[in-house]
Amino acid sequence: MFRKIFGFLLVLFAAGAFASDGLVSNFTFAAGPGPSTGSFWVVCRGTTGSGLSLVNLSIANRVVSATSITQEILADSISPVQDGVFSDVTAEHRRTPFVNAKSLGLVLPLFVDRDSAGGYLVPQGYLSARATNAVSARALPNPESSFEGDTAMLHASSAFVYDSSDRNLWIARGTYGVTIENVSKGINSPVRSFYAVNAKTLSFDTLSASYEATRSKNPAVFGLASESSEKMWVATDSGLFILNPLTWKLSRSGVTGLDTSRVTGVWIGGTPTQIIVETSKRYGNSTEDKLWRSYNGGKFAEVVFRDTTGKVQKNIYDKADYSISNAAFVGKTAFLSVQAVEGSESGLLKLDSAGAVPWDNENQWLYGFDAGVVERNVVITSVVAFPLSSSVMALAVCTYGSGVSVSADTGKTWTSIVNQTAVKDDLGSIRMVPSVISADDQSLVSYKVSKPSKITIEVFSYDMRKVRTIVKDADRQASVTRSTKASEDYWDGRDNGGRAVAMGIYYIRVKDNHGHVGWGKAITLGGK
Amino acid sequence: MKNHYLFALLLLAAATISFADKKANLGGFDNFVERMGAGSRELGRGNTGSADTSALPGAYFNPAILGFRNSVEYSLAAEKRDLDRAGGSLGIEGRIGSRMGIGAAVLYRTDLDFTVINDDDEDVGTARPYFTITYVGLGYRLTRKDAIGVSFALSYDNMDVSDSYEGADLVDGYQSPVTLNLGWLREWNEKWSSSIVIRNLSFSKNLSATWTRNASTDNSVSESEGVRPKVLQIGLGYHSKLLGRPISSWMEAIDYQIADTLLAFDPDLHVWTGRFGMEWEAIPDGLLRFGFDDSNYTLGLGYRFSVRLGKHRYPFEINYALIYESEADLWDPLSFGLRGAL
Repeated sequence: MFRKIFGFLLVLFAAGAFASDGLVSNFTFAAGPGPSTGSFWVVCRGTTGSGLSLVNLSIANRVVSATSITQEILADSISPVQDGVFSDVTAEHRRTPFVNAKSLGLVLPLFVDRDSAGGYLVPQGYLSARATNAVSARALPNPESSFEGDTAMLHASSAFVYDSSDRNLWIARGTYGVTIENVSKGINSPVRSFYAVNAKTLSFDTLSASYEATRSKNPAVFGLASESSEKMWVATDSGLFILNPLTWKLSRSGVTGLDTSRVTGVWIGGTPTQIIVETSKRYGNSTEDKLWRSYNGGKFAEVVFRDTTGKVQKNIYDKADYSISNAAFVGKTAFLSVQAVEGSESGLLKLDSAGAVPWDNENQWLYGFDAGVVERNVVITSVVAFPLSSSVMALAVCTYGSGVSVSADTGKTWTSIVNQTAVKDDLGSIRMVPSVISADDQSLVSYKVSKPSKITIEVFSYDMRKVRTIVKDADRQASVTRSTKASEDYWDGRDNGGRAVAMGIYYIRVKDNHGHVGWGKAITLGGK
Repeated sequence: MKNHYLFALLLLAAATISFADKKANLGGFDNFVERMGAGSRELGRGNTGSADTSALPGAYFNPAILGFRNSVEYSLAAEKRDLDRAGGSLGIEGRIGSRMGIGAAVLYRTDLDFTVINDDDEDVGTARPYFTITYVGLGYRLTRKDAIGVSFALSYDNMDVSDSYEGADLVDGYQSPVTLNLGWLREWNEKWSSSIVIRNLSFSKNLSATWTRNASTDNSVSESEGVRPKVLQIGLGYHSKLLGRPISSWMEAIDYQIADTLLAFDPDLHVWTGRFGMEWEAIPDGLLRFGFDDSNYTLGLGYRFSVRLGKHRYPFEINYALIYESEADLWDPLSFGLRGAL
């Protein structure tokens, strides 16, 4: 039945796999519920490799803090984060999907860097993270059929659903349709089945030699979502389908815009239930992107974007060229992490019962750096909701370079969890993070003071000519970790006139009003 | 009428604010090695040397000085400044025929301890970025009092960080275009001397030394472009006596034109600065110096002696300089030099 059997387990980790404090990297791409209440997984892919961190949190007076972070580093050849997560032309690939699959733990896609040359662009199976010492990589064989002209990423896993009653792991695999792994006999003895959406007969067929990977007959499957064992939402290249897993019959949504479009994702959750659907209709080289929702059992309709005066604004989602990386639901509110292609714009969309909620008077719907979600102006890559305690659902936002932000009050306040090397008190040591930049990158000036201070930060060239004043007599608070105000205390490789300074080493002086002076160093590689 | 004055004042204020950001500055990295000078003797007196026939290395200070050389002379200098900055210079020059002199000089600067920190706030390596500029010059004595000269300069920068980024194709080394320096020096009489030096000309359309650098071979870092400031340096020297001992003073007015145009008249594209230095032989062969170079203040000491080897007596001079970099409030007490003649 299978074209090729890879075996159940791949070689898992680098020989040096270990558990230690800290995130694997500040470049985080997904997060998911941990094995216990108050813990969550963070999926990282940094400059030194990929891995998962298990973060245990505590909450006091609604303030969240990390009590421990352990990490599991993956072998160099594998990663749950594929290379095109920001740049892939198809919206369904600009995300790192996951599901909490009980005995399998957190399930994530698995990509291989074949021959260490082409990047992580070969889907190979999935990762199962049950604990930091129990993370395994599981190969998924390819279905036995003909896939002429198929390229590897066309069958990348783009959604997971776990049915706990039957112990079935459903995997949306693009042109390979849907793969179901039944683990009722144990996670090391999965029974695997391959299925295809048949758009002509509206049936969910066993994938066979007659499979025809076309939009009209067997469309690619991009998304799956289910809230009960009786109904599975299936997002495909040929529209949105509803599968009855009991009868194995499909039906269409009945909404023209969903049944005629390329549906790139579907998410379900919340109380009352919300179903979020993303479509990306293709017109030659352009796409028309839309965001749809069914709220509390109602009919699907495009999500309404109101401005602060209550006036409805049109085509916001399409004009911005957004795509959803994930959806998180807390009560009746949905939080969607969205990003434009190449990550040029990103943030959270917050949906209430009426639609997208703007947060300021400039018709800004993206909650991000300016709204205080993240402390640095970085790309938001994903969002997740997980139980922080028996009564509190927390939100975690993943970022490209600034760790994760966690909120215990439905997004009103956020706490940043980020890797930091210790610095000495009272400007005793200054760390520029990172210390090598090019123009418009941000090198964070990391320091701490033991009492409230007025801080001045200036940049000097090698011959000690001042080229830039970053802040002058700015109020900063005492801290046991960092007094740095990340939104202001950074150097972007430019001088006071806004010109990119020439390539070279520069010296950053931090002074407080108590007589302390510290110096850091940064190299800029130039820019325009 | 008061309203008109108020309006005019507001316009003036607005113009001042808008021009403030346009003004070029010399804080940029390019050519800083040249700005920091060479030779601890000259450093102790504010880096002045263009109007002094005994300044070493002449190929750096003013190639016309080479026309006044009567023997083979050399200079060595080494210093360590605060924040792990270190550097030095080496110069050697001599006479060719009755009217010509030739010389070469190498200036070197580095940072001895740069920690490469990645985005995860981890130390991933250490680097020693370094920067060199090499001068080769020729001087010609037009008359007993006048000389002209030309020197070519070639600089090389190396950031030394690529080893810390195995996943990126960074480029460490950059060679800048050859620049041309022209000089004239005249000793008017026993007291007065003057000089004009034009630095950093090149062989392009506007005689500007421009460069383009791409810090990576995979275009992961955006390309950058730059232009070396064209420098007009006018020097004046005066020699006299104080308490019966020789005393000399030098001053230099310097204009940096920071633009890729032949001549720019926009004041925003110019930085004007100056140097001043004095040297007094307070005791026989013992020299006391002080000066300033833009915002840096210097104090220097020197001692001359000679060593006889066989029939030859070889003169030497050891020098020391203390530097105060006032903008950064740094004291640099470790600058030493040796010079002599063969």
